[in-house]
Amino acid sequence: MAHAETKTRRRGGSIDLKVIGPIVALIVLVLIGVALNPNFLSYANITNVLARSAFIGIIAVGMTFVITAGGLDLSVGSMAAFVAGLAILTMNVLTDVWGVGLPVILVGVALALVAGLIAGLINGLLITRVGIEAFIVTLGTMGIYRSLITWLADGGTLSLGFEMRELYRPVYYGGIAGISWPIIAFAVIAILGEVVMRHTAFGRHCAAIGSNEKVARYSSIAVLKVRLATYVLLGLLVGFAVVMYVPRLGSASASTGLLWELEAIAAVIIGGTLLKGGFGRVWGTVVGVLILSLIGNILNLTDFVSPYLNGAIQGAVIILAVVLQRKTGTDR
Amino acid sequence: MADPILSLSSVSKSFGPIEVLHGVDFELRPGEIHALIGENGAGKSTTMKILGGYIDQTAGEVLWQGQPLRFAHSDEAEARGIIMIHQEFNLAEHLGVDQNVFLGRELKRGWRLDHAAMRARTAELLAQLDCPVDPSARVSDISVPSKQMVEIAKALSRDLKVLIMDEPTAVLTERDCEVLFRQVERLRDEGVAVLYTSHKLSEVKRICDRVTVLRDGAMVRSSKVSEITEDEMAEAMVGRELSGLYPAKALPRAEVMLEVENLSVPGMVQGASLKLRRGEVLGIGGLVGSGRTELAEAIAGLRACSGTVRLEGKDLPAAEPHVAMTRGLAYLTEDRKGAGLLLEKTLRENLTLPLLDRFGGLLIDRKAEEAALDKAIADFAIRVPERNMAVGNLSGGNQQKLLLAKTLLSDPQVILIDEPTRGIDIGTKQQIYRLIADLAAEGRAIVVISSEMPELIGLASRVLVMHAGRVVGELAQDEINEGAIVRLAMGLKDSEGEAA
Amino acid sequence: MTKLFIATTALATVLTGAAAAETIGVSIPAATHGWAGALNYHAERTIARLEEAHPDLDFVLATTPDSATQVSDLEDMMATRGIDALVVLPFESEPLTGPIKRIADSGTWVTVVDRGLAQEGIQNLYVAGDNASFGSTAGEYFAENLDEGAKVVVMRGIPSTVDNERVAGFEGAIEGSGIEVVAMDHGNWNRDTAFTLMQDWLSRFPEIDAVWAADDDMAVGALAAIEQAGRIDEMFVVGGAGMKEMVARIAEGDETVPVNVTYPPAMISTAIEMTVLGLTSGAPMTGDFIISSELITQENAEDFYFEDSPY
Repeated sequence: MAHAETKTRRRGGSIDLKVIGPIVALIVLVLIGVALNPNFLSYANITNVLARSAFIGIIAVGMTFVITAGGLDLSVGSMAAFVAGLAILTMNVLTDVWGVGLPVILVGVALALVAGLIAGLINGLLITRVGIEAFIVTLGTMGIYRSLITWLADGGTLSLGFEMRELYRPVYYGGIAGISWPIIAFAVIAILGEVVMRHTAFGRHCAAIGSNEKVARYSSIAVLKVRLATYVLLGLLVGFAVVMYVPRLGSASASTGLLWELEAIAAVIIGGTLLKGGFGRVWGTVVGVLILSLIGNILNLTDFVSPYLNGAIQGAVIILAVVLQRKTGTDR
Repeated sequence: MADPILSLSSVSKSFGPIEVLHGVDFELRPGEIHALIGENGAGKSTTMKILGGYIDQTAGEVLWQGQPLRFAHSDEAEARGIIMIHQEFNLAEHLGVDQNVFLGRELKRGWRLDHAAMRARTAELLAQLDCPVDPSARVSDISVPSKQMVEIAKALSRDLKVLIMDEPTAVLTERDCEVLFRQVERLRDEGVAVLYTSHKLSEVKRICDRVTVLRDGAMVRSSKVSEITEDEMAEAMVGRELSGLYPAKALPRAEVMLEVENLSVPGMVQGASLKLRRGEVLGIGGLVGSGRTELAEAIAGLRACSGTVRLEGKDLPAAEPHVAMTRGLAYLTEDRKGAGLLLEKTLRENLTLPLLDRFGGLLIDRKAEEAALDKAIADFAIRVPERNMAVGNLSGGNQQKLLLAKTLLSDPQVILIDEPTRGIDIGTKQQIYRLIADLAAEGRAIVVISSEMPELIGLASRVLVMHAGRVVGELAQDEINEGAIVRLAMGLKDSEGEAA
Repeated sequence: MTKLFIATTALATVLTGAAAAETIGVSIPAATHGWAGALNYHAERTIARLEEAHPDLDFVLATTPDSATQVSDLEDMMATRGIDALVVLPFESEPLTGPIKRIADSGTWVTVVDRGLAQEGIQNLYVAGDNASFGSTAGEYFAENLDEGAKVVVMRGIPSTVDNERVAGFEGAIEGSGIEVVAMDHGNWNRDTAFTLMQDWLSRFPEIDAVWAADDDMAVGALAAIEQAGRIDEMFVVGGAGMKEMVARIAEGDETVPVNVTYPPAMISTAIEMTVLGLTSGAPMTGDFIISSELITQENAEDFYFEDSPY
């Protein structure tokens, strides 16, 4: 008993900021928010922030796996826009045929998931089978999907028919026990992601491949299959994020999902996942996403700085959150 | 005898609360090759790094020509002519040989780089070293021994007073070693003080003038090499008597476990065939680059190849490492750090990596993993200061034991071991040799690939020798001797007549 | 504006009589956002109509994603198509002033649309919207319909000259009315950004009486946030540029969306039609035609509703 006690205490004493750095940053942001605006902790504001974090959050969970396995995906923002456009277009066509109803939504949801999965598969195959750098492949598909959504929307905005929008609306705005669906979805994905990363062979294999691909290969891990799976998983999660996104405004345009890829990557890195791969933690990514959302929220809730400087504040916090982790690393 | 140029006086070094060096005295004299030997973790690296100006001592003094000295930076040591050649080469892989030799000290004509002069000077240095490498070749394209030579050329290009070499022969073949020894001796004769570390005691005996033995961070013996035998050195290192480095050889049984026919790897191996029986230790000798490693990797499914591999009578598909593993064949890589272990991960994660599907179903069974690690630590006598430490912080010997544990986790019946004891100390070597013999005695079939002749001679009951991608000869029990292996490895001729 | 409409209606009759075969180049930005999409829609529709009405006319339409491409497009039109007239909406003023000037110097008729060139006197005809009046028209509506002390939030576009002119116009119009602008930030002409921004403003301010969103895309985002917060009855939202969904709501008498302000992408039609007229009839069509923004109300909403337009 005494032994166990000293053990925990020692662990407590040697807590390093590498582990809790992002959490500290998050807490500091919350305190700043509370100090600046009394409405910050209101139910409505908390719900808003969490719900709007869900899209990038769900995508960032997938991105954590891709980056941990030593990859990168720049196409997720455009992919989300394209998948959203495709789903809306399909649902509009089906509404004309079947009328307004649940089947239309179900097909739309299924289509979004399948389209995301296929888009991820295309990225993954080009990277693993054709052997092109992930950066180049996804930079290419990023441009392709962005053009495709612009083309699909004829340069304008694709909007879901009014009645369909009303029917689909609760998926974003509704919920159970006062917790809205996107928050629930984000939480479930994050918990599943954390479990998969830490407690399954797939998660361990991702970290091994990102850490040293050769060692992974010599340990008879199917490196290419695991790599491919990370991109497919990310694509599927992009599809899932779209399922939650479409009911929010019921529309998609060329500016949908703009810069989501960079926000997702930033969240992953703020969370403590290594950009070069080899180590990833999903809970860190969740914290990273919340940090990014809170910065925007706090800036909107105050006149603290000129809106022209929002980007600068965001950039500074991102860099700070990462510096906080590096500086206190025990290996120096 | 000349006065010491660089010496340590009661130097101690602590990392955090742990003192790893306890009051070491050590002297390097011009015109002398001084060997520093000891088991892994004895404090050799720390001593060398203090001498090379890479780290500071905690107590005691570093003396330069009798005067106390404290380096602010390793550049300062270099400026005085103290050059350290690391075991892991310090070369920019994507730059040319000449660019590496003059890295940071480029020759210039006005503000422009003088490529011609640097190339010419590099060619000169390499010629001195008998090294046939083209000065404009990219470092990533040249062989490991050549890289070593480039490192030495780099040292020679400076005003060299003290040369510190960390196991320079670990990656060299016997022939390259000879070239190296000649160069080191030449440097000594020119008045350079040389610090030399090696696990190969015969080398120490061969080229060193003085030897200092470290054990557990303290100096236990220092004497002229002529006054100490190899056995005495080994005993001083280990601190106990070492008898019988190699255990008795097990007798092969009749059953053929592995049969390779006409296996070729494009550009690496041509038409290799071999048979391996239960209980047998088959040695494979040959120079580095003769195709030994590629042959083993092809058998294990890690390289695309043609030809057939039969495991217990059934064909093994090519390039399917997972299938090979599940069918009971395992390969232990020679490249411990590059292909064997994830250096920044824990022991547990490394141990179970190839076999995670046997630890739990959907979720990994952490308890089973911990139990496996407990067993590995006990079975292989792995010395672990802290259970959750990164593998990269283990000593080389303990890394090798962990790699063995990882390779044997799947309980393979056929085990291919590539360089079983590279860069590890004699005590651990002995443990590994025992283990190999025990595995064979249990009825497993084992292939040992090694550049160290005594290892092949001491372990194998049969030796295949490769040269330029081909199996050029087979030596049975009583034919195995250094001369025969070397002749075959050099591609001289069939050694049958002379060996008999 | 009204005057121009009369002019363009008269145009059709004039055009049918024209004789000589002429080639007209039209170069506009690609449809990367809603307004530009509508611009493309109107350009294509007008060209199709004019080609049908007048077989002798030949049109070359090029859409461009950036300034550099637009310069190449113009060079190609001159070299390979030998255009007699050019209708161009410059992607950016500075980089295109030189190339367009060279075309004008060669004797080709040049009509510049919306974005003025850096140097004056190059073009034969200039057709443009009025950003200041875009802001002031909305501002005037606010000043007339809100009480003194009313609290208003303003959603701006992407930081740019266009945005600055619009906001300056708005601020000028509400000056002295006692309306208080409690917050002003960039919604970047983006629905999602506007949605988030509006959500946070709703948390921050217990009282908001009206929202001015300098573009209908942002108005859509703001409306969704207001609807979510259940505060739809507390305030009205005025957007801009006449998106068809917005116009439809005005026509239905929606109290939350009472009016809208035009910045008609159809100005490209006007420009093309006037160019054709100038070219074929010799009528004096040179000069500047600034199309003021108009207030769309329930009464006139029908005139601004284009069923097929993507915007």
